Amino acid sequence: MTPLFWKALLRHPLRHPWQLSLAILGIALGVAVVVAVDLANASARRSFDLAMERISGAATHRIVGGSEGVPETLYVQLRVEQGLRPAAPVITGYLPNADRPGQLLQILGVDPFAEGSFREAAADLTNGNFDLGALLLNADAALLPESLGAQVTLKRGEQRFPLQSVGTLRGPELDGLVIVDLATAQHLLGLPGRLSHIDLILPDSSVSEGRAAILRSELPPDLQLEQPDERNQAMANLSASFSLNLTAMSLLALVVGMFLIYNAISFSVVQRRALLGMLRALGVSRRELLIGILGEALLLGLAGTLLGELLGLWLGSGLVNLVTRTINDLYYVLSIRAFFVDPGSLAKGATLGVLATLAAAWLPACEAADAPPGAVLSRAYLESRWRASLPRFLLVGLALLGAGGLVLLFSHSLVTGFIGLFLLILGCALLTPPLVVSLVRLSQPLTTRLGLLARMANRDVVRHLSRTGIAVAALMVAFSATVGVGVMVDSFREGVAIWINDLLNADLYIAPPGIEDSRGRSEAVTAEALAVLRSEPGVVAVSTYRGNRVDLDGRPVILIAADLASASQAGYRLVNGDADSAWRAFQTGEAVLISEPLAYRRQITVGDALELPTDQGPHTFPIAGVFLDYGSEHGRILLHRSGYARYWCDPTIGSVAVFAAPGENLAVLRERLQNRLSATQPLIFRSNRDIQRRTLDIFDRTFTITNVLRLLAILVAMVGVLSALMALQLERVREFAVLRTTGMTAGEIGGLVSLQTGFMGAAAGLLAIPTGLLLAAVLIFVINRRAFGWSLPFEANPLLLLETLALAICAALLAGLYPIWRMTRARPAEALRTE
Amino acid sequence: MNKRYGWYGLLLVGLGVTLTVYLTRPHLKTVEGVTVGTALGGDDNAGYQRAYQPRPFRFPDDHGPHPEFRNEWWYVTGNLADTTGRSFGYQLTLFRIALSPDPPAMDSAWRTNQVYMGHFALTDVVNEKHYGFERFSRGAVGLAGAQARPFRVWLEDWALAGTAVDAFPMRLRAQDGGITLNLTLEAGKPVVLQGDRGLSQKSAEPGNASYYYSHTRLPTTGAIALNGQVFQVQGSSWLDREWSTSDLGPEQSGWDWFALQLDDGRDLMFYRLRLKNGGMDTFSKGVLVDQKGQARLLRWGAVDVQPLGEWISPQTGDRYPAGWRLRLPDEKLDLTVTPKVADQEMRLTVRYWEGAVAVTGRTGGRPIQGQGYLEMTRYELFLSKK
Repeated sequence: MTPLFWKALLRHPLRHPWQLSLAILGIALGVAVVVAVDLANASARRSFDLAMERISGAATHRIVGGSEGVPETLYVQLRVEQGLRPAAPVITGYLPNADRPGQLLQILGVDPFAEGSFREAAADLTNGNFDLGALLLNADAALLPESLGAQVTLKRGEQRFPLQSVGTLRGPELDGLVIVDLATAQHLLGLPGRLSHIDLILPDSSVSEGRAAILRSELPPDLQLEQPDERNQAMANLSASFSLNLTAMSLLALVVGMFLIYNAISFSVVQRRALLGMLRALGVSRRELLIGILGEALLLGLAGTLLGELLGLWLGSGLVNLVTRTINDLYYVLSIRAFFVDPGSLAKGATLGVLATLAAAWLPACEAADAPPGAVLSRAYLESRWRASLPRFLLVGLALLGAGGLVLLFSHSLVTGFIGLFLLILGCALLTPPLVVSLVRLSQPLTTRLGLLARMANRDVVRHLSRTGIAVAALMVAFSATVGVGVMVDSFREGVAIWINDLLNADLYIAPPGIEDSRGRSEAVTAEALAVLRSEPGVVAVSTYRGNRVDLDGRPVILIAADLASASQAGYRLVNGDADSAWRAFQTGEAVLISEPLAYRRQITVGDALELPTDQGPHTFPIAGVFLDYGSEHGRILLHRSGYARYWCDPTIGSVAVFAAPGENLAVLRERLQNRLSATQPLIFRSNRDIQRRTLDIFDRTFTITNVLRLLAILVAMVGVLSALMALQLERVREFAVLRTTGMTAGEIGGLVSLQTGFMGAAAGLLAIPTGLLLAAVLIFVINRRAFGWSLPFEANPLLLLETLALAICAALLAGLYPIWRMTRARPAEALRTE
Repeated sequence: MNKRYGWYGLLLVGLGVTLTVYLTRPHLKTVEGVTVGTALGGDDNAGYQRAYQPRPFRFPDDHGPHPEFRNEWWYVTGNLADTTGRSFGYQLTLFRIALSPDPPAMDSAWRTNQVYMGHFALTDVVNEKHYGFERFSRGAVGLAGAQARPFRVWLEDWALAGTAVDAFPMRLRAQDGGITLNLTLEAGKPVVLQGDRGLSQKSAEPGNASYYYSHTRLPTTGAIALNGQVFQVQGSSWLDREWSTSDLGPEQSGWDWFALQLDDGRDLMFYRLRLKNGGMDTFSKGVLVDQKGQARLLRWGAVDVQPLGEWISPQTGDRYPAGWRLRLPDEKLDLTVTPKVADQEMRLTVRYWEGAVAVTGRTGGRPIQGQGYLEMTRYELFLSKK
């Protein structure tokens, strides 16, 4: 192929910078969203790995505890009597930084003398990187990361703990970490006599396996020997569903981007039909033409991808905060919030961008290459082919919808759920051109009455179907994505609001101040305080709760030991099981009620049994009921206090719900209780409203990132409207010039253009609504269920739908402005001469 | 053209050689403070008790800890052999180091100002092998500690323990790296108070002294397990007990310590405090213990100590005397002290040479033999300038 050929081909995009840059922007935005989400996910994962690595260090095994952690006496016994080494005692936990609201610091309490082979940071005894003496002696001594400087104040409940730096932790992997002596850690985290775990290094050999087996058999029943790598892996997987959802949403942006690329390339092919025909006539082979157009697309794709990567880096550094915040709220604490640029993410984005461009360019390129040389790739030829293939679009579209439906019906995994979802989207996109034609036909009676301009505008859409069809389909996909996600989030929020309102039906909730310990438990309500509450005449009923975390398949499932007043029982909505018999069985303390996500994940229901690791060793509880719950995607288990007291050595109560007597003034009751209790124990009083508001705040925070992605999809859609419609109108300069010379005014031309783009916007918006609702239904009933096990209501807010329609029309009208401006300024004679 | 490339090539080779030499140079670690006290506890003496004057010793109480002093140690060394004559030397030292004069506020059972360091070594004479191990632990939650009644000092599973009523017979247990020591030590002679009735002055500064007593001959039986082999052994051990809040004087550079058991039943201890100018400090002193346990103080002038030859540690490059000659003219004793194995360097947090030695010589014209332990400290190439 000669350079001349390339020059001829590439001259066109360079002469149409608007078109060129909008096409590049389309690719760039698609790639940027994918790269940003992937970078954010990878960063969060890397932060997690680093945070785990710095805790586990070189340990190959660890002894972990039951509900109380590991008693320190076990460590002493292993080390002194059995000479087990290397072994290191560890206390970990998280405390908020009082100086920087929102920052959680990871506390690592170690015995520097035992650290040697485990972790470097606190192991250097004599080289003087830190003041070992001070670290051991002073209750306020700590090794602090560079970013915290010389001191920091930690908070636990109302208590404040100022710490002074006696050594600096350097490097990003130690950010957000506070290393203290074991004694200090016990004091800070309120765990006297306890360890979080005991680290061991058992070299990888048969001898050590034997040793591990012996150790395992000698441990008390509530302690286990586990491998931290496996544990960390399991923990990292906790957020896998969340990450997958984000990735899928980012791919949606890329799909929209692909439509835009297809639109841009096919448009540029059509525009050059004369040139391409001429080239064919001059002897350029079909293959060469194909390569030429694909090559051009590749250049476009590369430029767009490069820009997309840069945009993605910028966007990703912002998204990572949202991702880590959500992970912090829902899964596990990430004390590192660094933005790590994973080359893998960039490579993935680049590959996707280039491949998507080539895939999108393939059809138009084939089309151009297939056209008979002499006949020139005429518009009429193309349009007639398009119209002829409408039934095919219809058929393939319906087939894809059917396939998508079948995949959704007959598969169970999350990934196949997403595949089904994408099939449905694709099917809807293919149905769009035939539907646009039908819409035009439908609106004909209306436009006939509106006059010549409207009729022209209307029929033009069908006449240019090769481009309008694709443009409308792209816009439809983009807007339907925003509708689908919007409806899903609204439904979810509605479900959570109803759930929390039902569940928290007591008047006051009372708990000690302070954050949860490493097992997810708060401090205990004293027996005296409880007695005061029960004896208060204004109180008719009291429910008590104790939250405790148990480990089921590596997931932190919350066990709630409760003594429920009947009103509290009514707050639980059973989705499975007869309420009467369920609560009767519950009262015995030998049966449990489990939350829906847990039931879904384990595929268990009423009548099945669940084995729980109790303080007396594993025990199997029959399941009496399954309740609706959005409290934890890992699951929650409700067990009566009496049963909890039998199987766990934890007689304490974490919080109390109080039902006021009818007619009791709540504010007065609250004050009276506060006065009476102030002498016994400092307690925090919350109304059900407070807790509901806090729950929804967390919900909204969680979905911030979803909304950001939704906004990005809207942005991509807007760019799509602009580029598609603007190009379409600019191409018709000559046509409009003819109309001008035949007497049409500039204003009328403007009206024509606006009507046409407005119609396309409206078509896209209208079609996006049913597609979006379908998408929402899949997200709600398939994706969310498979990812988290929730069952959600379906709540479509009409305002959201109208908003989408309005947005689509506005974007379309906006897209017409520049072409109108140009056409009204251009002199018709000049425009006529351009060809 | 070619000529110029030749020059560049030569330059590159030169750079390469320089770099290689630089990168493979022996790494000589600068040793900060060598005494255990400075390694961990700093060298601030304020607030601690110090040894100003002789005090009455009471046993078994004084076998137990004296936490108001900064440093303290239980120092056991010995030479053992099995029935075939295969001989071993061993060392088990448990150091107590106070990080502060007063105990800290007890916010946790782990909080303490008492830290223990242990050194454990075995010399396999036949194979010319020396194994050294080190441990640290805080003296809390039962990980390490010392007590008088019943006597016990331990650092995890390294321990010295007496019976319910007395420190002797003393059980010694230690294990690490495939080596296990399980010994019983009997009191062969009464306790010897070193220096002036147990007050051992280390320099002219008042209080720069230690309380120091020894059991110079402890008949020992027991078992040594080494690489899966068990040896039933017997021999003789030596216990040194010392507690103080003291440092080397500014002019002192290190010390050499001899604990020799002669086969005529006499025991000789001598420590030689070296001066930075190469001489021997006048505060150097020792004791000669007769067969019945009667001890006689040996002052500076009573012993002539001469290093013999030089041994360079292949691992650290430190240069130690390869042997010693000790002459006590008043006793007509002339002894040559030779390490049983040349490399008995303790390459631990604190680096020193400590090992089993053989003694040959003459007493009043008769040949005499013996064995014992030798400690040589602070022979590092680069001493800190501080």
